[in-house]
Amino acid sequence: MSTFSGLNTAASALYASQRAIDITGQNVANANTDGYSRQRVDLQSIGGSVVPAVWSTSNEVGQGVNSDSVIRIRDAFLESQAQAQHATTANLTVQSATLKSVESSFQEPGSTGIQSMMTNMWSGWSDIANHPTDPGARAQLLQRSQTLVAGLHSVAGALNSEWSNTRDSLRTQLDDVNATAKSIADLNQAIKRATQAGKPSSELQDKRDVLILHLSESVGATSTPAGDGTLNVTVGGVTLVAGNSALQLSLSGTNDSATVSTDPPVIKTSPGGTAVQVGGTAQGRLASMKTLIPGYQDQLTAIAQQVATQVNAGHQAGFDVNGKPGEPMFDDGSGNVPVTVNTITAGNITLRITDPAKVAAAGVDPALIGGAVSADSNNADAMYQQRLLDTGADAVYRKMIVALGVESATAASNLGTQTVVSSQVDSSRDAVAGVSIDEEMTNMLQFQHAYQAAGQLVSTINSMLDDLMNMVR
Amino acid sequence: MRITQRSLALNSLRGLNGNLAAVSKLQNQLTSGKTISAPSDDPTGTNTSMLTRQGMAGNAQQARNISDGHTFLDSSDSALQNMLDQVRRVRDLAVQALNTGSSSSASNVAIATEVNGVRDSLIAQANQVVQGKPIFGGVTSGNQAYGLDGTYVGVGGANGVPVHPVTRRVSDVEAIRVDITGPEAFGDPQSGKDLFAVVANIASHVGDATLLTTDLSDLDNVINGMTKAAADIGTRSARMDDAATVNSSQALALQAKLSDTEDVDLPKTIMELQMQQTGYQAALSVTAKSLQPTLVDFLK
Repeated sequence: MSTFSGLNTAASALYASQRAIDITGQNVANANTDGYSRQRVDLQSIGGSVVPAVWSTSNEVGQGVNSDSVIRIRDAFLESQAQAQHATTANLTVQSATLKSVESSFQEPGSTGIQSMMTNMWSGWSDIANHPTDPGARAQLLQRSQTLVAGLHSVAGALNSEWSNTRDSLRTQLDDVNATAKSIADLNQAIKRATQAGKPSSELQDKRDVLILHLSESVGATSTPAGDGTLNVTVGGVTLVAGNSALQLSLSGTNDSATVSTDPPVIKTSPGGTAVQVGGTAQGRLASMKTLIPGYQDQLTAIAQQVATQVNAGHQAGFDVNGKPGEPMFDDGSGNVPVTVNTITAGNITLRITDPAKVAAAGVDPALIGGAVSADSNNADAMYQQRLLDTGADAVYRKMIVALGVESATAASNLGTQTVVSSQVDSSRDAVAGVSIDEEMTNMLQFQHAYQAAGQLVSTINSMLDDLMNMVR
Repeated sequence: MRITQRSLALNSLRGLNGNLAAVSKLQNQLTSGKTISAPSDDPTGTNTSMLTRQGMAGNAQQARNISDGHTFLDSSDSALQNMLDQVRRVRDLAVQALNTGSSSSASNVAIATEVNGVRDSLIAQANQVVQGKPIFGGVTSGNQAYGLDGTYVGVGGANGVPVHPVTRRVSDVEAIRVDITGPEAFGDPQSGKDLFAVVANIASHVGDATLLTTDLSDLDNVINGMTKAAADIGTRSARMDDAATVNSSQALALQAKLSDTEDVDLPKTIMELQMQQTGYQAALSVTAKSLQPTLVDFLK
């Protein structure tokens, strides 16, 4: 046994305590850094040689402590769970927000929505029924019908711009995704080099984890370790980042909400052009563009067609002030006769009749009353009663609004549940990887005392050596 | 589970945000006075609210129809009453003319002249116009029910044209007829025995007792018809009154229902707000206390 080996042991102890205090300092400094994982010095006692060799025997006392490795405390399982949960939360957030904004386009229930416009139009018919010969009542009906048309146009426009806004947001978002993927590839390269050089890269790894979590929220990315310190990032089964190379994502497909069914928006890799099943915010936006918004556009168009169908049919059954049969009230703006209902949309429905005299209020055919023009108002009353039809525009519209309310409320409640799940995973992650100030302070005291003890050890050995030297004098 | 300062802070923040969101929702309800600001707030309530609003609009329109119908019926009624008074005068004159012994030819002429005068007045009354429509003209688009010579020019009830009633929609399921055509009130012009023909006959038959007696019985028939028409109008007027009562009580019921569905229950919401605020303040004070101390505070 060497005379000075005790000093070596004490020196390793001093070094270990110092290093531990340094790491404590780093932890405290990053107590509030987003994505930081606490670090710990991995202390290993150095034992004596246990395998006897020629001319070498162990003195059976350990040789101090090894404090070379610093580990990063993080639970990989919780990280991958967080990626999945954050992606789901982001997806639901977008869908719920889209439905909320669709709801606000309709302004129901209230006195400014399409329902009250339809109600006003039907009331206009009843006013004509009271005063079939009064041009004022007829003009009022035409105005109210025009208001309904404008209301349908306005909601259709709001849905359309919601669609376009979603598409623009998705494009911008993909630019961000591409930049992030590039950063992750760069970090992979740096971490790989550090790992090969045996240098710690905890902070770089933290930064990479933050970026990957960002990608998870954005496009539902997941990560798998590749073995050399790098992480591969995959999105919907397609590898986005492998080692130090990253693919790009781009949005293709229609830029017009009317042609979604024939040319749906899709996210593809570039280069490669492989369609990617994204998750997260992008999934929510794609769902909004492919089903949510077009679904309500289709329903609104169905309502416009229903209005046109029932009003046209009703109006054509009547006779105007000149005793002529009524003309169709609404068309698609083309002015074609006969009116084809299938080409009418909520965006192009147009009031064809502008002359109050052409409003067909009378229900009695002039042929039945000896050629005289009838001033009865049976048809106007029949039009008024259309508001009560079980399958009429009013009922269809109301059904749609209620279904929208249910869908939006369900989405909001799903989002609420998912947010709780997601925040629980975040709490669990923080419980493992987060910095506890109390704990760090305890560690600090612990290592301070260890340092003091090791110092004491050095001075004791020193005085022992003094004593030894004095013996020879 | 390991608790760190950061997770404590984040959890507190989440809790505080939740509290504040609840306060904000209640505040929104109180300031707008409505519990439903979007369909998703209460889809079933939205359905009720939309149905009720539609019902209220229909109800308001029907209230207008009812008051309009009243005007029409009242005009018809008063026209008929006035005309009945005048027809009775004609009858008196005819009876006077029958007493041939006491009347001279000069007084016969005077009676004939007066009867003709009354006839003109009756025709003018029968052409009375309400809201641009001659009330006894059926569904004519013209502005007269009878020509100046007493021929019927309205549409419906004569000349082989059936009566097309003019109605007012007083509820979703009921429409009340508000008019009565000239032929219905004054007799069929084709028989030559309607009011104006009979009165003309009386004027020309003054002095001829036999013919005048026939005319007098014709006139009694016409008077019966007119009285019946007036009674008919009266009955419909009563139906209109009933409809108005039903309508206004329905308006109240609908308003109450809408208010029930949409409006904020003030005491309840204010209580909830108070509770939420108390909770929020408690959360704030607890957060302030729990976030402050760490071991650092106690190390020397």
